[in-house]
Amino acid sequence: MTLTDVGSAASGGGAVESHSARRRPPRRRLAVTIIPWLFLLPALLLFLVFKYVPMAEGIRLSLFEVRPFLGDLWVGLDNYARVLGDERFHNALNNTLILAIGQTAGAMLIGFGLALLLEGTARSLWFVRSAVFLPVVAATAVVGEIWRLLYYPAEGGFLNSLLSWVGLGPSTFLDHPDTSLWSVMAVGIWKGAPYDMVILLAGLAGIDRQLYESAAIDGCTTWQRIRYITLPALRPAITILLTLASIRGLRVFTEVYVLTGGGPAGSTDVWMTRVFSLGFETSELGVASAGSVVLFLVTLLLTLGVQLLRRRREA
Amino acid sequence: MQRRTARTRTALFAGAVAVGLVLSACSGGAQQGDPNAPIEVWTRSQDDTKKVYEKIFKAFTDKTGIPVNYNPPPFNDFDKRVQERAQSKDLPDLVITDTGSLGPYRKQGFLVEVDRNAFAGQGDLVERAWNNGKTADGKYFAVPFSTQAQVLLVRKDWREKLGKPVPKTWEELAALANDFTTKDPDGNGDAKDTFGIVAPGSTDRGYLAWWAANYIWQAGGDILSESGGEYKVAVNSPQTTQAVNWLKGLFCDTKVTLPNSLTMVTNDAHNYFEQGKAGIYLTGPYMFTRFDKAPGKDKYEVIPSPAGPSGSTVLGEGEVIYQMAGSAKTAEQKKLAEFLVSPEAQQLGMKPDAGQRPVVRLSVNKNVDVKAVYNDPRWDTVAKVYAENARPFPNVPNFQPFRQQTAETLNSLFAKCGSDVSAELTKLAGNLDKELKSQKAAQ
Repeated sequence: MTLTDVGSAASGGGAVESHSARRRPPRRRLAVTIIPWLFLLPALLLFLVFKYVPMAEGIRLSLFEVRPFLGDLWVGLDNYARVLGDERFHNALNNTLILAIGQTAGAMLIGFGLALLLEGTARSLWFVRSAVFLPVVAATAVVGEIWRLLYYPAEGGFLNSLLSWVGLGPSTFLDHPDTSLWSVMAVGIWKGAPYDMVILLAGLAGIDRQLYESAAIDGCTTWQRIRYITLPALRPAITILLTLASIRGLRVFTEVYVLTGGGPAGSTDVWMTRVFSLGFETSELGVASAGSVVLFLVTLLLTLGVQLLRRRREA
Repeated sequence: MQRRTARTRTALFAGAVAVGLVLSACSGGAQQGDPNAPIEVWTRSQDDTKKVYEKIFKAFTDKTGIPVNYNPPPFNDFDKRVQERAQSKDLPDLVITDTGSLGPYRKQGFLVEVDRNAFAGQGDLVERAWNNGKTADGKYFAVPFSTQAQVLLVRKDWREKLGKPVPKTWEELAALANDFTTKDPDGNGDAKDTFGIVAPGSTDRGYLAWWAANYIWQAGGDILSESGGEYKVAVNSPQTTQAVNWLKGLFCDTKVTLPNSLTMVTNDAHNYFEQGKAGIYLTGPYMFTRFDKAPGKDKYEVIPSPAGPSGSTVLGEGEVIYQMAGSAKTAEQKKLAEFLVSPEAQQLGMKPDAGQRPVVRLSVNKNVDVKAVYNDPRWDTVAKVYAENARPFPNVPNFQPFRQQTAETLNSLFAKCGSDVSAELTKLAGNLDKELKSQKAAQ
């Protein structure tokens, strides 16, 4: 979606230029070339200062042992070797992938279900939609603290009380290596699903009602309508969600940090909690930067991959 | 044509304004190097202790006329913010925090060396406290500010209700913890809502190793052992293995620890003792003020940690004053540090208003009498434990990686109850040995 947008904007810009190139005095042609850039300048400068310079600095730091007051020591690719050879990073990568896939799929499924249920223009629906959307706007750290209370792993815990009503539990939730990752995932899905719902709702609103009507006349079942009309029409929305969710999934940090701090036994340690622990608890900023650069490259490749796949399919 | 040019000019002007705004945004802020700016101090504090520090700094300003800018970052964000400031080469002038930060700060060159002989009043400070500021090479890079020893807080009302004695040995401690877990000590009819031991077992900042080290020492084991100024990994010694096995029993067999211990940071842990979810807590004396409100002053007792096979050694560390590198106000830095260890400032730190916790626990100044200042037998216990049974973590160049890795291994052992303690500790020993070699302190 983004690429096509950028493409059309670029070709739009090009069209203006070729149009205005018709026998204009050179000064004016120059101005026409410069003006769009001037409008972009404030944003570009902000990006430069707050994004690109820190990114470049991060890449530079990843090649050094960082000691701000003693002078950094050049260590070449040693930091990368340490990251890629570290068993705990392998474990973290594994957990990150499980979490990213689980949260993306779960949030999308539930988001889709919610979107189908809450589509429409009635006032009551507007209210319910807002209520459902609340988890997205709540601060992640607060959400984490509250879920930690809900998940209290003995009988007095809120969720365990609910479980005991139906004769189950008590579950260990966050506090056993077998259940911790799934518990974190559930919080991620709870927080992510309403966001997916909103994007999918926008997609649903764009579907021509007549298609449903003709399908109904042809005697389609509900499932067939979803399968052959709704889902294909939602494809652009789903692609965008997949891209965003996989990026969000890979760099997941706050909820894990607040819920478990990566424990117990490293069972919920994800890439970013590892990087954080190295950077700010053990003060190994060089190694932490190397870890971040690796994550950045993976994210970049993944995003490009999704885009390429889409373009090829659309071509 | 004319209109076009005007518009171009406007656009150019707008662009220039934007550039100016961004650039000015970048250049603002840092005031380092300005001799008239106040001296900036950070402490790792929560809201109540911040107020105590404010009082101390006010006394300093009143006395010397040197203004202090005291606006420390949030407690949980402290380490991160220090790193951020270091990256912009604009550290606060003075930082008061755990002695545990000495290694990492020194390694990154954050600190200015302390010349003990030129430090006013240095002779009045307790010699053992000075060790908190000593690095592996025998130099001093911090000034002690407060010391303490860990003591055991036990729910007295629960213990008496169950008719148990004050625990003096590990066996009695384990038995008491077991009774707290199974015999409904709070008498609310639900035998499953209380537990024996509060154990902050998260790997965050290496908390679990901080807590477990006490028991490892009490069994005669160690993380690193010292002989003649050289260090050796001792985490797989028979004594350490014995201690870890005993601790594992508390988590896995009798299950007397809180069920969410292994993801619990100290800040959360306090709540569980406060709310009567568990009745035994090995922690620092700074918690008295808070626990006097809940569970209540008469509800718990303060005792020395019960003896293990090899004694009742506990962690005795404290907070130190770091004079940070890159400061333009070295003279003021030193003056403030000297004031902070004076009897006047130390007593201000020990006697906060109601509801606030003291920032100086045991004074580092010989001329301050714990008995007279606190007038509280519980503090006498702390002073006695500190004098007789407390020890710090070793002065290896940087102990933090050792603590962190030990915490991760212990956390894993206590979470996966089927695991092989001896094998895991041997693996940990290998990793710690590598770390020791990389810190060039191996024997």
